[in-house]
Amino acid sequence: MNCEKCQELISDLFDGALSREDELTLSTHIEECLACADVRSDLESIVGFCRAHRGEYSAPPNEKAVWLRIRNIIEAEAQPLVTIPVPGQPTRKRSWVEWMGRSWELSLPQLAASVAAIVLVVSLATAVGLRRWQSVDSLTGSTTTTPPIDITARGTNVRDRIWQQQQVINYWNQRVESNKVRWNPQMRETFDRNLKVIDQAVNDSLNDLGQNPHDEVSEEMLNAALNEKLSLLKEFADL
Amino acid sequence: MSIRPLPARFRSSRARIFLIVTLASLCFSGALSVRAQQHVNKRYPAGKNVRVELKNISGTITVESWNRDEIKLSATLESPTANLSPRQTGEGLVIDVMGDNRGRGDVGDANFKLQVPVNSTVDLETRRGDITVTNIRGGSVRAHVSSEGDITLSGISASQVFAQNTIGNIFFDGELSRGGSYQFQSGQGDITIRIPADSAFRLVAASPTRKIALGQFWNDRFRSLDGRKYEGDVGDSRASVTVTNFRGSITFLRR
Repeated sequence: MNCEKCQELISDLFDGALSREDELTLSTHIEECLACADVRSDLESIVGFCRAHRGEYSAPPNEKAVWLRIRNIIEAEAQPLVTIPVPGQPTRKRSWVEWMGRSWELSLPQLAASVAAIVLVVSLATAVGLRRWQSVDSLTGSTTTTPPIDITARGTNVRDRIWQQQQVINYWNQRVESNKVRWNPQMRETFDRNLKVIDQAVNDSLNDLGQNPHDEVSEEMLNAALNEKLSLLKEFADL
Repeated sequence: MSIRPLPARFRSSRARIFLIVTLASLCFSGALSVRAQQHVNKRYPAGKNVRVELKNISGTITVESWNRDEIKLSATLESPTANLSPRQTGEGLVIDVMGDNRGRGDVGDANFKLQVPVNSTVDLETRRGDITVTNIRGGSVRAHVSSEGDITLSGISASQVFAQNTIGNIFFDGELSRGGSYQFQSGQGDITIRIPADSAFRLVAASPTRKIALGQFWNDRFRSLDGRKYEGDVGDSRASVTVTNFRGSITFLRR
């Protein structure tokens, strides 16, 4: 079982919707894979939190109206973008602009409910996003921000995924470069030497995957090497 | 035996003075470099099961057990300005060279020797430098070198062991506990695992170099992926062992 499949099944595990066989396979994988164990642990805490606080965040009265108002507020913020006069603009768009131009007066309780709903939605989205992206590895002590790269499932483009990961790596690389001047020459040499080793491992895996895109070992090695590169950059960025 | 006289150029008083000054300055600079180092020796009372956490930047870390309920810290700090403020917690001792010297620039090497109770949990990390842990029978042993440094864990009996470096060898000599988890990862270096012959574990070992030697632990239940990865059970697979090496070998030895 690969990490992608495992992480898809984790939520089913909490729903109790897994077959005995799938559950066993999943448990075996999680025992061996720290990244998936983290995902399970994160999801477990989110589910636990939601269960513990059930009722505290009950839906506001007339939920549909609140959502409509939220949508209106968001769209009203985007209004300047759509009110730019464009020659030959379709009539439908103009009427949309007029509709958007209406003044929406909200009473204090309505406004409070809207704000509360927005805060709730944004908080939940942020919490879930952060949990997903910053799963702290308790055993390795490193923060893993790189989701596993899926090569085989759903025809995902490996290069795209690597490109995304490369953006995160570039960010940390910039931080390292700006701090590097403070390091002693030995530390700089050590860092460069080690980064080269990891880059070689990344390139080897990419070459192997180029020859055999379904190669499980190369995929795992690529994941591990990219994670290690990120970890090295983050740890040296602190210096 | 004949004693040759000094060459003529050293006979003059100016030459003698020059010689004396040079020798004196050499001695003085040596004394300065010794004085510039800081030596720290401290002892901390501890229970039998303690947690020792050390976050170093650069330098060696040696941890060994001793027969006392206390922690002895011996450290040599290369820089005279380096700060070291070990923190005693309810669980044990936390030494954070990184945190103690944030914003101070380069603080050079800090070499540590820790003597701890045998049942300690040990959590060690450094950006660069060797880590050696000897005779620990605690809950977990974690040794993480971000870049290069050898990791030597010998006489270890812990339910969780983690060792990772980028360049350097990893040597583990110890016992695997039932239900324990053991992870070893290196970028470029040899990983050697020496365990008792009757060890039972589930193994996942991967090295693209195909240098994986399972020795007497190999059996025909192992699944091999092109010689680059081996997955399988030894005995009743009561422990989990994961070994990854990007560019080096993986060797299992019988104890």
